[in-house]
Amino acid sequence: MNLIEREDQLMIAFQNGDDTALEKIYTLLKPSLYSFVYRYTRDEQLSIDLVQDSFMKLHRYKQHYDPNKGKLKSYLFQTAYRLMITKLNRRKKWRSFLPFLTPIEKGEIDYADRLTIRDAVARLPDKQRAVILLFYYHDMTQEDIAEILDIPKGTVKSRLHKAIQRLKDELGGEFHESGSI
Amino acid sequence: MNQDPFKKEHYLRMKLDEDHVQVPEFPMNPKRKRWDRLVNVLASPAKNPVEPIISTTTGLVVLKVAPVLAGTALTFIQLIFFL
Repeated sequence: MNLIEREDQLMIAFQNGDDTALEKIYTLLKPSLYSFVYRYTRDEQLSIDLVQDSFMKLHRYKQHYDPNKGKLKSYLFQTAYRLMITKLNRRKKWRSFLPFLTPIEKGEIDYADRLTIRDAVARLPDKQRAVILLFYYHDMTQEDIAEILDIPKGTVKSRLHKAIQRLKDELGGEFHESGSI
Repeated sequence: MNQDPFKKEHYLRMKLDEDHVQVPEFPMNPKRKRWDRLVNVLASPAKNPVEPIISTTTGLVVLKVAPVLAGTALTFIQLIFFL
């Protein structure tokens, strides 16, 4: 049984009343879920809150998951992504009313120093950032990403290509590969 | 997608692989209440909203002169209405 099947089987066990199965799911999926949320937000406490909220939602609405419709990992990532976007949008709204809530932004990047990959990913448009994080760091297929982000498969492909090109542009003249995508 | 778009992007893959995330230890059930979360957001370092004004000479002058002008205007208004 591969890992994905194991997660799905644990979820079915949890739906059937085995509460210990949720702890096992947490152990298996927490690191990747946290990594995704943290790479997107770069806010440790927010990322912890979002992971906990996602599992709380998974617990509360455990019967909503249907293994015939997709993998548990995709379902959980979708839950976390929606919570994250809602929370980030709410924060933006509050900050427009209350400027003292605006966090300290990093100063203008000095291009004499090398731009780190973190900076380059953070500068991607939100929609491209999610796609590239899921594709590269979590080995998700286009179908999985389309399900998580609730967008068509073609849009996933197009955003991925744009994100790759933009990262290359942001990282500057370090590229010497021949050919392009 | 028939081809991996990262297949030829050796340098980009190398850079992306540099980003390691340290996953902290935390329980599944949150111990922090909503109130704690709100306090955390309010207490986190934030930028000075007046800074764009005071960082220029003109802005600083306006900030110093504005109270004087406002006081003068209020005085005139009172003189007009009550005399």
